[in-house]
Amino acid sequence: MSTTKASRIGEEIWKTRIDKVNAELVTLTYGTIVAQLCQDYDSDYKQVNQQLDKMGYNIGLRLIEDFLAKSGVGRCANFRDTADMIAKVGFKIFLNVAPTVTNWASDNNQFSLIFDENPLADFVELPDDGRAQDELWFSNILCGVLRGALEMVQMQIEAHFVSDVLRGDDTTEMRVSLVRYIEDEMPPEEE
Amino acid sequence: MSYYFTILSPTDTPIFNIAFGTSKGGGDGIARFRFPDTAQYMNQFIIHSSLDIVEEAQWINGGMYLKHIDTYPPAAAYISAFLTPSGARFLLLHQPPQLPSGTSSGLGSSSLLGSSASTTRASSSSVAANPTSPQTEEAVRQFMNEVYESYVKTAMSPFYKQGMEIKSPVFRTKVTGAGKKWL
Amino acid sequence: MLHTQAVFSLIIINKAGGLIYQREFQAGLRKLSTNDYLVLAGTFHGVHAITRSITPKIPLAPTTNSPAASPGTSTPAASSYSYPNPGASVSGLDYLESDKFRLTCFQTLTGTKFLLFTDPMTGNVETIINKIYDLYADYVMKNPFYQLEMPVRCEAFDRHLGAWLRGRT
Repeated sequence: MSTTKASRIGEEIWKTRIDKVNAELVTLTYGTIVAQLCQDYDSDYKQVNQQLDKMGYNIGLRLIEDFLAKSGVGRCANFRDTADMIAKVGFKIFLNVAPTVTNWASDNNQFSLIFDENPLADFVELPDDGRAQDELWFSNILCGVLRGALEMVQMQIEAHFVSDVLRGDDTTEMRVSLVRYIEDEMPPEEE
Repeated sequence: MSYYFTILSPTDTPIFNIAFGTSKGGGDGIARFRFPDTAQYMNQFIIHSSLDIVEEAQWINGGMYLKHIDTYPPAAAYISAFLTPSGARFLLLHQPPQLPSGTSSGLGSSSLLGSSASTTRASSSSVAANPTSPQTEEAVRQFMNEVYESYVKTAMSPFYKQGMEIKSPVFRTKVTGAGKKWL
Repeated sequence: MLHTQAVFSLIIINKAGGLIYQREFQAGLRKLSTNDYLVLAGTFHGVHAITRSITPKIPLAPTTNSPAASPGTSTPAASSYSYPNPGASVSGLDYLESDKFRLTCFQTLTGTKFLLFTDPMTGNVETIINKIYDLYADYVMKNPFYQLEMPVRCEAFDRHLGAWLRGRT
């Protein structure tokens, strides 16, 4: 499946099958969660990143069914297809953004998503305590979402942000690597 | 023309201050107040002393922009105010450049009439020199609206707490930008 | 009362073969005990896995070694067998038909199986299943208090499913 076809699918679903909510509601809700976590963990940003990832993971486990039910797409033939699906359909229908897929590793098992816009981070300015800029990945929940969702369709991946405009970087970039395909779909002990 | 802009929280705590000069008519954007640099607190005194008038005016005037509301003749300082619905106050002090002594004595006689008389004389120059002209009111309104927009965005940052000092460099840049654009 | 749009019952099986949902939409169906349903789900799960693994492969058309030979006449090496359509995943058992009912199985990419028992004359079963999947995604998966892989006890899902099926007929 080509990138343009994936874009078309994403566009179509976004237009016809998605209930829209106010963007500020999402932005403020997410921002409040992150700010509250920072407070609860006493600005231990490593912990906050981890919690966000965990929350995202639990969302991903559930959201994948919605993605599949709405998109009706079949299994991807390879990881490149998967990347297009994530960027052009997944992000499109849930956040109405379509990050660019780029920087493929030579073995086709690693790519980057470059976000031109990030609705989660509108209005956000990181705390100026001198550490948040270096330690907090504000949108880390997205990494968890991908990890959870792909695990449900038999792909173990690792995702992390490598740059974020909130920190003063030029781009917001997430690195996604395929660890392995989970072959045994059914746990052997329960067969 | 020099400007001093302040945002006061609903509890009268200053949460943002900036001083800048006009960029219109060849201005370089640097504030040159008539007080020595060591007496910049005068601006704050003058601005805060106009709060009583703001509090009276806010219930009379239905709008958020209260226009020019107070003048402090000894320093030739004009105050414009803008209220946000949440109770924050944007106050802008403007001070025209030092005028020839004859004119400044006219100002000394106080009141808006005195100042408008002086402005007709200087009307050839930019917005900046006429603190109470309709053009100035309009420019200040544009400035206030633009700052308000940035203020709302800043206040929406999840890490900003209401009533806290605004330290955001982005906000400061935006205010400076708005000042350059309109004043 | 039977009509051509009849949907008899629905079973949902999780990816480990456990029964997580079972519901009848028609009066007069023979009742099975809960245990029988569990066995049915487990058995079906096993049969489905077997049908997946016995999916036959066809010889690959030669591509590089004998470009001159026409695809139909070549005899490829023993290892070069593939599924008829390599792009599509192996689905296993899709439906099972008797003269009294039709069992349609829809397996999502995550491994959950929806088993729909309908009248053999019912058309557009795929549409019905897709809608059920939609409702499942909305009212089961998005219910934050639903524990994944556990039996579905979501009142909103029951309600919307019932209403939609009733509205359809």
